[in-house]
Amino acid sequence: MGTREIVSLQFGHYSNFIGTHWWNIQETGFGYNGTESSEIDHDVLFREGLTVNGQVTYTPRLLLVDLKGSLGTLSEQGNLYEPLVDPSTADTNWNNKVEVYTSTTEIKNQFQEELYKTKNPREIFKKSFDFDNNVKVWSDFLYSRFHPRTTNIVSEYSHKQSSCFEAFAQGTELWRTQKFLETFSDKIRNYVEECDSFQGFHITLDATDGFSGLSSSCIQYIEEEYEKKPILAFPVIPSHYSDDKGIMSEPHFPNSFRVMNLAFCFDALNEHSSVFVPLCTGSDGWIQPRTKIEFNHVTYDHKLYYHSSAILAAALDTFSLRYRMKTHSYTLKDLCADFTTNSRKVVAASVCLPFSINEDSDFISCLDKWEGPLTKSITPNCSIGTDKLLQMFTLRGIPETRLKNQLSENKAQRHMPAFHCNSINEMLNFYLSCNYFYTLSSVTNVAKGVSVRTPFPHFFDDSVGANGNICATPRKKDLEDIPILAGLHSGSCIGDMIESLHSETKKIKKLDVGQFSKTGIEMQEISDCFDRLLDLTECYEDNYL
Amino acid sequence: MSAISLLNPKAEVARAAQALAVNISAAKGIQDVMKSNLGPKGTVKMLVSGAGDIKITKDGNVLLHEMQIQHPTASLIARASTAQDDMTGDGTTSTVLVIGELLKQADIYVAEGLHPRVLTEGFDKARLKTLEILDNMKIPIEINKDSLLDVARTSLRTKVHAELADVLSGICVDAILTIRKDEKPIDLHMVELMEMQHKTATDTQLVKGLVLDHGSRHPDMPKRVTNAYILTCNISMEYEKSEVNSGFFYKTADEREKLVKAERAFIEERVIKVIELKKKLCDGTDKTFVVINQKGIDPMSLDMFAKEGIIALRRAKRRNMERLALACGGIAMNHLNDLQESHLGHAGLVYEHVLGENKFTFVEECKIPQSVTILMKAPNKHTLAQIKDAVRDGLRAINNAIEDKAVIPGAGAFEVTAYKELMKYKETVKGKPRLGIAAYAEALLVIPKVLATNSGFDAQDTIVKLQEESGLNPEPVGLDLTSGEAINPKDFGIYDNYVVKKQIINSCSIIASNLLLVDEIMRAGLSSLKG
Repeated sequence: MGTREIVSLQFGHYSNFIGTHWWNIQETGFGYNGTESSEIDHDVLFREGLTVNGQVTYTPRLLLVDLKGSLGTLSEQGNLYEPLVDPSTADTNWNNKVEVYTSTTEIKNQFQEELYKTKNPREIFKKSFDFDNNVKVWSDFLYSRFHPRTTNIVSEYSHKQSSCFEAFAQGTELWRTQKFLETFSDKIRNYVEECDSFQGFHITLDATDGFSGLSSSCIQYIEEEYEKKPILAFPVIPSHYSDDKGIMSEPHFPNSFRVMNLAFCFDALNEHSSVFVPLCTGSDGWIQPRTKIEFNHVTYDHKLYYHSSAILAAALDTFSLRYRMKTHSYTLKDLCADFTTNSRKVVAASVCLPFSINEDSDFISCLDKWEGPLTKSITPNCSIGTDKLLQMFTLRGIPETRLKNQLSENKAQRHMPAFHCNSINEMLNFYLSCNYFYTLSSVTNVAKGVSVRTPFPHFFDDSVGANGNICATPRKKDLEDIPILAGLHSGSCIGDMIESLHSETKKIKKLDVGQFSKTGIEMQEISDCFDRLLDLTECYEDNYL
Repeated sequence: MSAISLLNPKAEVARAAQALAVNISAAKGIQDVMKSNLGPKGTVKMLVSGAGDIKITKDGNVLLHEMQIQHPTASLIARASTAQDDMTGDGTTSTVLVIGELLKQADIYVAEGLHPRVLTEGFDKARLKTLEILDNMKIPIEINKDSLLDVARTSLRTKVHAELADVLSGICVDAILTIRKDEKPIDLHMVELMEMQHKTATDTQLVKGLVLDHGSRHPDMPKRVTNAYILTCNISMEYEKSEVNSGFFYKTADEREKLVKAERAFIEERVIKVIELKKKLCDGTDKTFVVINQKGIDPMSLDMFAKEGIIALRRAKRRNMERLALACGGIAMNHLNDLQESHLGHAGLVYEHVLGENKFTFVEECKIPQSVTILMKAPNKHTLAQIKDAVRDGLRAINNAIEDKAVIPGAGAFEVTAYKELMKYKETVKGKPRLGIAAYAEALLVIPKVLATNSGFDAQDTIVKLQEESGLNPEPVGLDLTSGEAINPKDFGIYDNYVVKKQIINSCSIIASNLLLVDEIMRAGLSSLKG
């Protein structure tokens, strides 16, 4: 069997931030020199294309949706397949007067400007740019180039007035317009038609605004149209809202709307997706993701989408590796089948970035000295325990040579029980079996780390050395690839998470429910949806097994 | 003091005359924006985004959206114009103009102390009378190529330049006449609109068959066949791993292999069934076989088909299943049990056209095609979008004419006549409402006035000329946009849709009346919530 292709969809601005980082991570990690053959099959997410002029292109198999005005300097069609038409010479098919309305031209930031001019885009890695202050929209740090099909703009709502596309029902209504029902679904079909052994869909979606409804409708459509094809959905919650005033979060509008959107989104995903993984860099995420999750050796500002989305993207790129490898025959469908026993469709994710291994240490000693859980949960309101789990870890960036000290120099290692393990995979499995109870784990490992080259944020502290390991002396060179561990988990913790969402819905004031209903949902439907959430928690009770 | 101010001191309130002034100025504002669009001599708008994307439009709706009009009154008018578009596909600019003008005229009387309620009474009377006038002016038509061409041309010449409009109207009329069956209503979905970024706009053509936006995915499949059987089906021909043999669960690799084989055989059986039928029907004759599937076909199945010289297409559009059955005959199959010749369609020619990475498959020379494709060509995306909008409107205009079985003389003739008749009618009405009727009649004249202005003539001059001519001549009198003289639109084949005018009269009167009767506008509460 050849490549098993995946089609990716991104709905919403924060999803596009994550997506942009994800595509950047992959493209900056490509080995172009041809000396190293990658373990990862990039054709799973990318496609080869051909322009009319006969030029070969390699672009993400992606469709993204965002609101009008969110693209910045990126043109909707992209300039990969054809140059932009100059408005002064454009053919208008009109013999009389033509009025030209020009919006203020967006100015490319330094990064985009240099990327546009350079002949060898990989030179850009050596430079540094002030992304922290300059990134306003996701296209500002986009390294990848897109297929003309990729970008879809919702012209009904504007990005700049952030508060208008904010209810689930607005999204479902939008799906029924011709633009989506015909044009967008046709684009999905065009991608799928090209694939020889299509394995399924990756869908990243903003779960707290109108995009929750749009994507839910889309997922329902996909489920009907491409039956049997698995849909792995990632509902995401932004790391920060601009209306967060720092005081205690009240269950008022617009917070109440967010909670209700989440509830409807989870309900729809549970119905129509195969597996879904809620993601957020805040640990208490329903109303306002206030407490940010801290990672060792990383100083990031959760108010910057540019930062927080990078962490989620690195995690996504890592735990999705399992079904993107050249050697494995494991597919997205297998993953969905494995996780959905007892109709448990919600899965939690966790990450350890960077996977901190000391420069002079071996994997065996690193695990030996490790305290606490290996990874941190990036699913909001979900603390992953060590008990009764089904989990899947992916470790990258630790080559087999770092496994243990083969020479007899290190006596201490010889006495460790894990010394008999002969591969990273085996050892991590052994570690997991010792530290978790009644748990089914599986491990994937890849020797090459995750690429953190520019435009990835430089938020690692100085003790992370150039090779990504923890060093005693501050690093001098730029980081390239770093080790990372990410996992997917299913267990009773998920039930707690959904229950916390349900109890949040109970706090919403009647007035706000009424307003939400005015956007196009029956009151009865709202309370039914909340009740179904409660039913859902039952699937995750331990005695259920 | 408004009651709401007691409850919510932050509420903004505008009352009575002030409220009316707000509404009228908004209506005037959007009228000004749209004015220059009207008619075949109006201006086309080119919108250039900050990143350089181009959009070309004359469609009032698109403009209203693009300009991000936030004013609630303006958005109410915009919605009326959207409704107009949904109902009839034309007349969006006229709607905005007439609503704006009705309010402008009303403003004059209200300023003199007339109560808006009295005016709206007059509006309502005038509306009923105008509908009557409209009915009297109806010109019944024979459904044939010439009469439909006139309607299509009138509509399309306001969207694209004359040369292209003539090409497109011919295509649209042909398309509709081909798929029309007796007296049954026409399903416009049975005209497929396919875009091809290639050549120029005037190369747009009608294909009496179907054009699919994908091709075969096997190098050995024929690229062109003649005299072909067409099997349309919705049957998965790709092997999919079932969930049982995945992940943690299978015991040995052998066991798994066996399962895979058994499942694979199941798919193969389907392919073999199709191949058997092909062998039965085509072997030894000059006939060929094409499979068009809504579901997937995997490389192994494609390979089996290719060995038999069968063209197989996968993942066809859902709607194309229906279209194919209408274009070529046959039935879209959901299973392959006892598959027979009668289930198959027929096409004289099937071939593939490749443009870069895009493939197109033409299914042509069908016997009695009841579904056709308009293949739109243009060198770039924005032109394609423009043509697509135009073709859609053209098809709607023709369809309207067929449903109405009548047309209305265009070029402002209806408005001029309506003015004349309304002024006569006014004399028969007693009391103040007659002022409303006068205002209404005056407002309708905005259409010929703007047509004249857009063509570079003096509005007053033209109106006087038209009214004089109309007073002498019982025939409808319209405006010739090239000479500025009065003409009979019938002589020039300028016809509008009856239903478009009817919808304009109805919706404009109602919206304008509603806006007039508003005597308090307030903004309070959840301001960020839409609608």
